[in-house]
Amino acid sequence: MVFIKQVPDTKSKAGVNPDGTIDRARAKRMLNPFDRFALQKAIELKKENGAEVTCVTMGPPKAQEILIDAFDYGADYGILLTDKRLAASDTLATAYALSALAKYVGGVDIMITGLQTTDGDTAQVGPQIAERHNVPQITYCESMKVDNGKVIARRVVEGGHQKLESTLPVLITMANSAAPLAPKRFAEVAAVKEFLHHPEEREKRVKSVNLDDIGADASKAGLVGSPTVVGKTWKLGELGGSCVMYQGRSALDEVNELAEQLQKDDRGIGELING
Amino acid sequence: MAKIEYDVIVIGGGPSGLSAAHRIVDLAIENKSKLKVAVFDKGRRFGAHSMSGAVSNPRSIKKLFPDYETNGFPIEGVCSESYVTFMGKQSSWNIPSIFSPPDFNKKGYLILSQSNVAKWMASHLKEKVKTLDYRNTVVDLYRGFTASEIIYENGAVVGVKVDNTGEPERDNCYAKITVFADKGFLSQELIAKNDLANSSQTWAVGTKEIWKVEKDYSGKVWHTLGYPLLDGTFGGGFIYGLSGNRLAIGMVSGLDSKNPNIQPPQVLQNLKKHPMLQKMIAGGTVLSYAAAVIPEAGYYAVPKEFAVDGAVIVGDALGVMDIKGFSGMDKAMESGITAGETIFEALQKGDSSTKLLGAFKEKLMNGWVGKELKEARYFRHAFGVHKELLSSYIPSFVGNLDSFGPYIGGLVTILASPQAIPTAISAKKMMDGKADIGEISLKDDRTASDPAYKPEPLSEPAGYDKKSIYSTADVVFYANTHYHDGNEHIEEFDSETCSECIEKYGINNNPPPCVGDCTAEVHEVAEKDGGKRHHMNLENCVQCRTCELVCPEKNLKVNGAYHGSGPDFAGM
Ligand SMILES: Cc1cc2nc3c(=O)[nH]c(=O)nc-3n(C[C@H](O)[C@H](O)[C@H](O)COP(=O)(O)OP(=O)(O)OC[C@H]3O[C@@H](n4cnc5c(N)ncnc54)[C@H](O)[C@@H]3O)c2cc1C
Ligand code: SF4
Ligand code: SF4
Repeated sequence: MVFIKQVPDTKSKAGVNPDGTIDRARAKRMLNPFDRFALQKAIELKKENGAEVTCVTMGPPKAQEILIDAFDYGADYGILLTDKRLAASDTLATAYALSALAKYVGGVDIMITGLQTTDGDTAQVGPQIAERHNVPQITYCESMKVDNGKVIARRVVEGGHQKLESTLPVLITMANSAAPLAPKRFAEVAAVKEFLHHPEEREKRVKSVNLDDIGADASKAGLVGSPTVVGKTWKLGELGGSCVMYQGRSALDEVNELAEQLQKDDRGIGELING
Repeated sequence: MAKIEYDVIVIGGGPSGLSAAHRIVDLAIENKSKLKVAVFDKGRRFGAHSMSGAVSNPRSIKKLFPDYETNGFPIEGVCSESYVTFMGKQSSWNIPSIFSPPDFNKKGYLILSQSNVAKWMASHLKEKVKTLDYRNTVVDLYRGFTASEIIYENGAVVGVKVDNTGEPERDNCYAKITVFADKGFLSQELIAKNDLANSSQTWAVGTKEIWKVEKDYSGKVWHTLGYPLLDGTFGGGFIYGLSGNRLAIGMVSGLDSKNPNIQPPQVLQNLKKHPMLQKMIAGGTVLSYAAAVIPEAGYYAVPKEFAVDGAVIVGDALGVMDIKGFSGMDKAMESGITAGETIFEALQKGDSSTKLLGAFKEKLMNGWVGKELKEARYFRHAFGVHKELLSSYIPSFVGNLDSFGPYIGGLVTILASPQAIPTAISAKKMMDGKADIGEISLKDDRTASDPAYKPEPLSEPAGYDKKSIYSTADVVFYANTHYHDGNEHIEEFDSETCSECIEKYGINNNPPPCVGDCTAEVHEVAEKDGGKRHHMNLENCVQCRTCELVCPEKNLKVNGAYHGSGPDFAGM
């Protein structure tokens, strides 16, 4: 089971309010880039071990788009947890809802998440799901394989790597140094288009559920289930500046030119670039 | 895994391919027939690799979408003022309408972004079938998927291999009829294999920037001649006023130039240095850049047949662009519509051989497309026959225009070279199709460049704002190009041939044509292993195919980028 999330497209300015907050209804959406590593790992397990890949996500009905997109890459099933009562969930509430969803589906051997999301940046949801399921967790995983009912994984730690072995079921969060998501294959995409044309097939593979369907306690989800308090938000300022291009005949010339410019009037790089 | 099969697949989601798909789907809906159609485009989204000027006669748009004015079809403006402008180095002269070519009066025509049109046509195609029963009409759009090889069975086209990293057989797509709307990427092989070429196609390269400017120029259209093309190269500029204070500024240069170092993006910068342009873009910012080639040979270069067993060719792949009226988009669409009708009929009759598909050529050439192409059949050739027009009279008029104004300047030009008048009259007769010199055969552009060419330094207009002019490396940034790892889409067949070519052109300090004519600074000559070597920075490539067309040794092949790599010409 892969946990994926639709996040505002960082390349698009649509829906960014003047005060720097995001209007989620207007923003362009994309698959959380960190989740691409999780999806890739799941697809690899499917190929190597014959796994069945189910992608789950929590969000508004439109978030179904990323489930369909995941099919294109080779996922088998998609489940969307959508419920107005989920609005404004913090990591505690989100992890509660997602683990309830995983329990509702049942029989999951390996849960995989991305490291974190680009809109929350907490890296907390994966580990919390593991805790709620009382299963081992391997965070910052770079590579892994399943052998004899066991997981053998390599994870990134400060200053090096760690090799781990774990029993199943297990929860893994993939580091962004793991294998990147392979491009969509035509045959896969064609097969997905084919089943999407058939409503009865579609229903078998994409499901939409709410909190009641999965037997979750609504008081533990959404705003009411979220102890996090947002004190204040503020805008950090604009990213930007200009770019100076040095085009010399060789790299050496270019470096020399840059060094000369930096030495002139004792300017630093920041001053040089910002005029 | 089951074989992936459609009734019709369309390779290329530009105006020609999407028009064919729309027409076929319209007819299927009208006749309640069961049909499966797929459209492939190599861009990361539809329109990402399709660019144009564009000012277009709405005739084919109207035919396909009678309610185009209200149904959301993307229009950037309607032409209210149309000028043909002669550019000196400092001055400019709007040629009075009685002297200017009537084909270039664009009043009432639509100003369009072809990229936006393609995007809209693709999504509108999906929209059309949305409410229908999936058991009848199916339309599948594959963006970011490139047809990489034609599959033949007993000589007939039966489909394509998708994506050159795909697994054979598994990633094949089969169809009763394949439509090639790919501007030559694959269809040139089909034409060669079936020996369909009449004469070589000749091409021009176009570059364009869109600017956000301070003043509103919407609805105004200028086509320019003269400066900055003063070296005998065929071509001209265009400036189209778009809605929202935007300007499309472009330059078109013929690839049959003697100059092996056209530097298309710099020709465009030179146009922008002109005082007329400087005034327009003052205080503005550039939004995007794009480049593409234009098939300009016309009538005598269209293939002998427009169809083979199992396939038809449409649009720029066919070469129905008409340079005389600068009208390619409408003809591309009309060719798609006409092909669509023939294809639908063939499918109904269950026969996808040339016996039925062959009728497409007749139908298209007997209609207005064929008529206009025929009229313009010597237009481009006239500049080849009367080389002095471009190499001598126009440059000398450019100088006299700056010094004496249009009328006296014109007189001075004529007095200096009285033979200009009979030349102009004879050229005009050819251009209007009034002279008849029979069938002509054109030479490949790759044969035109002269290794010994000595460029005359172009004296620049004075006083332009340096900040509004870009190096090629900088302007390419605005094509939003992105390549996925491992995209090796240009083949260089033999590196020794390149080294010899570099040496040959280098004797006169010229770069080899691939370097000199690239629109995105992909090719370069690099010092390596003690010698000069041809090197490519593929991550810059905007997929225009210019380098392939000008390589004198036929040593390059530009393949379609795959996995949705390449530029994003949004809005171009
Ligand atoms: C600078 C410039 C200015 C122009 N100005 C005008 C104008 O003002 N008025 C006018 O009427 N005409 C103009 N034209 C001409 C007009 O744009 C063309 O005639 C028209 O684009 C032809 O349409 P098409 O569908 O044949 O090709 P395109 O629009 O080029 O579409 C081809 C499509 O095929 C796709 N493709 C190619 N190979 C493959 C493959 N193997 N697999 C998958 N996809 C593939 C490409 O991604 C592309 O989207 C201009 C052209 C240029 C370059
Ligand atoms: S690719 Fe062609 S033009 Fe370029 S160097 Fe090689 S032979 Fe010359
Ligand atoms: S490398 Fe060739 S195809 Fe690519 S941008 Fe340059 S000229 Fe065009």
